[in-house]
Amino acid sequence: MGFSGNYMCTSFKTEIMIGVHNFTTASNVFKLALFTDSATLDATTVSYTASAAAGGEVTGTNYTTTGEFMTSVTPTAIGTTALVDFSDVTFFNVTITGVRGALLYNNAPVSGGGTPAVCVLDFGVDKAANQGDFTVVMPTADASNALIRIA
Amino acid sequence: MNLNLPEIKVGSVSVSTTNNRGFTPEEVAQRCTDKLLNIADSTPPAIRDQAIAYKKSMEAVIALYMKEAIKTDRTTVYNAIKDAGQPKLAEYIRKM
Repeated sequence: MGFSGNYMCTSFKTEIMIGVHNFTTASNVFKLALFTDSATLDATTVSYTASAAAGGEVTGTNYTTTGEFMTSVTPTAIGTTALVDFSDVTFFNVTITGVRGALLYNNAPVSGGGTPAVCVLDFGVDKAANQGDFTVVMPTADASNALIRIA
Repeated sequence: MNLNLPEIKVGSVSVSTTNNRGFTPEEVAQRCTDKLLNIADSTPPAIRDQAIAYKKSMEAVIALYMKEAIKTDRTTVYNAIKDAGQPKLAEYIRKM
């Protein structure tokens, strides 16, 4: 039970080999949903739908269930590492508490339908915003830090 | 033998929050420059100092233009609310 670190979902690793995900800007809609520590999200997580059904998604003023859209950029390579970078995601004017982590998922996959999971992000401690903004700051888009990297 | 095995990795995010307000232009400008310019720990000290100074200068310029964007947007909001028949509310927003 609860978050235990960042995970690249195992199902995602398989799905990138069969063309389920396309990270270029206009093609798909990736979303970031926030969860409390009562959720169980790890490498075995397969989709947003299954995770939300299991419970633990954050509730609060101005937080919309299913989360916020993300802006991805075209995947690129630095040296021998391929990477995908996303813009920071802000949940505006929210009152939410106990936010322990997030699930990045694909809301419009190229094939197969559903809401396949990409990765689980653990914030380390519970975060909160009271009638304020809640921003998930993405790491530097380089070969050592970018959110999704294939080295 | 040199094995070059592929590895797929996930990076770490951080979280910034506010209470009873939004982010200030300075806070957003700092995030912006963090995104634009990453100074590696291995950078030689002299170059590192220059890069930090440049980053600070960029941060100030971005914050300044953000404040200008907020003010000019407020002019637009002021006129929209005034045109909607709410001059007192429009004036309150203009004075914020």
